[in-house]
Amino acid sequence: MPLKGFTRNIKPLEVFNEEQLESIHKGMLDVLEITGLRYESEKALKIFQSNDCNVDFDEKRVRFPSYIVEEMIRMCPSSFTVRSRNPNNNIRIGGNTLYFSDMPGLRILDLETWKTRRATKKERDDTLKVLDALDSVHLLTSYAPYFEVEDIPPLMSIPECFAAKLRNSSKVSWEGYQKDCEIYVIEMSKIAGQDVIGISLPSSPLSYYSDACESAIRFAKEGLPINIACGSVMGGSSPVTVAGSIISANAEMFGAIALAQMVRPGTKITVQGSVLPINMQSGAPLFGVTSAFLYLAGALQTWRRYKVPTISPTGWINSKKIDIQCGYERSIGALISALAGSNVQGLHGGVHGELAHHPVQAIIDDDIAFTIGNFIEGIKVNEDSLAVNIIEKVGPIPGSFLAEKHTRDFYKEGPHIPKSADILTYSEWEKTGEKDAITLAKERMEQILKDHVQECPLTAEQDREIEKILKKARSFYKDK
Amino acid sequence: MNNDILMKIKDSISGFELEKVKGYTLEAIKENIDPIAILDAYREVLNKFGEDFGNKKIFLPELIGAASTVENSLPLVLKEIKEKSKKIESFGTVAIGTVYGDIHTIGKAMVATLLIAGGFMVIDLGINVSTEKFLEAVRNNDVDILAMSSLLTTTAMEQKKVIEQLVKENLRKKVKIIVGGGAITKEFAEEIGADGYDPTATGAVILAKELLKSN
Repeated sequence: MPLKGFTRNIKPLEVFNEEQLESIHKGMLDVLEITGLRYESEKALKIFQSNDCNVDFDEKRVRFPSYIVEEMIRMCPSSFTVRSRNPNNNIRIGGNTLYFSDMPGLRILDLETWKTRRATKKERDDTLKVLDALDSVHLLTSYAPYFEVEDIPPLMSIPECFAAKLRNSSKVSWEGYQKDCEIYVIEMSKIAGQDVIGISLPSSPLSYYSDACESAIRFAKEGLPINIACGSVMGGSSPVTVAGSIISANAEMFGAIALAQMVRPGTKITVQGSVLPINMQSGAPLFGVTSAFLYLAGALQTWRRYKVPTISPTGWINSKKIDIQCGYERSIGALISALAGSNVQGLHGGVHGELAHHPVQAIIDDDIAFTIGNFIEGIKVNEDSLAVNIIEKVGPIPGSFLAEKHTRDFYKEGPHIPKSADILTYSEWEKTGEKDAITLAKERMEQILKDHVQECPLTAEQDREIEKILKKARSFYKDK
Repeated sequence: MNNDILMKIKDSISGFELEKVKGYTLEAIKENIDPIAILDAYREVLNKFGEDFGNKKIFLPELIGAASTVENSLPLVLKEIKEKSKKIESFGTVAIGTVYGDIHTIGKAMVATLLIAGGFMVIDLGINVSTEKFLEAVRNNDVDILAMSSLLTTTAMEQKKVIEQLVKENLRKKVKIIVGGGAITKEFAEEIGADGYDPTATGAVILAKELLKSN
């Protein structure tokens, strides 16, 4: 049985009516058929040519007839299993299931100064240990937990971080690409006996560089799933309007869907619209604002219609600290994504865009995920939950429900108490040191680091083989 | 007459009218108006836009919109200046580009615009600029400052490559180097041997002036 995650039992949030949704779809078809996409890859252009697309080799432009677009989208499985070496950590992405993952950070956040710095290898491994222990982290993200780790050269970041994930957790993960390093990632995943989700990133507007094409082709050939993530900024690399940005991002993400399906029909795909408005003063992306949330909800609705599983980055926030802003920005995004039917949310641990991460934030996020996940499971309506007989039995005051068997039987189904929030009464809070959520999360982190034991670690043989692959990669990238 | 056309050029820049700026610029050149005066007209408007941008009276769409009209017509004016052997008064020449593997243009465009507005001559090398193209710009032009942008962590090291290659070819001392972009920190800039770093576009212009002052 795959990891359960959370099951959405409530009607999904809809920001478009049927007519508007159709306009978005037609807009995407027009963009793909008339404007097309640019691919800086001869290999990709040839694949498109042999699959009846209109290819202009001089312009490196591919224009897609509408029937091909619709056929390629139909080829994407609506749900699929990603295998872990530990069957308890298999996941099945798609449908009305919601999983959570961590959100990567470039560096570790210093909780004393709120500055960021390179993580040590020990801090990286400790963070992974915490992520492995958290119940609502169902899979691990790419470039994570930190992209900058002391004593690791940039070109080795991805292979080293993937190996660290395999060594510290049997949760499945997805992983990035950079100068062919996905070759080593795929080799390591085979040694560990688990799937890895690849990545292919369009370059907005409407373009794919060769490494993104190569990654899509490689993972598709291996029969591995691919996450296609578009990161355009509204007003910069996509239209300033939300609807226009949904059309442009969907068209871009279709670009790798088509490539993957033409290489291997039925390739498992997730799409990740990481589209944000631009801060018109600084040019930087703006997180946690209304149009970012409207984009999330609108884009998720379109992909729900296509029955293609989705990933949403909801741990992207503006705040540089673990503070109130950090809490409200991520919680609004996470709740909206969950309501709009996201299948995976990148939430845990991210602070200030992708620039910082901390396991204490991940622990707090586990409570947010737990609360939101349980919320979308909805309200059970059956004879037991309606409880009419019990209401009748208890009657008016002085009746009480506390002593009822019904209460004993069902209280564990709710109210879903968060693990590191301060839920004490005032006097209890005073007596126990007046701790806030951050302090409680720090204490929980210490406890996890002391007690947590990974389920199904790599065997000594697997670890040695992974080290051999790393050695090969280190030697390959030494002079690059 | 001179003032009339120059005023029309300025109004067209302020109105973001790409074709009109070009048309009036051609007309001014045909009327034998001093190309330095045309350049000054460009700078005057961009300087006002730069100030308003700094004071948050206008935002990127206006700043970049005005800059793109100038960018479109500037080569005509520079050609005329060269042909007439005129001397341009400027703080110096900056060659600017986004490094190889990175196609982010916004930050670089902001810095380039504010540099022009601030009185620099700018050679915009574009995005996805190879090490060789950066070196070629330094070799073939009288460049005072080389400015490199990288938004991505994965491409930040390209800046280091360019600096190393400049050292190898004995060109490093010829230019000051400033770096910026989302992936860059002050420590990283120091580590790779850049002369300066600033996280903001307005700060980059001040930095460029300071670096040339200390020269």
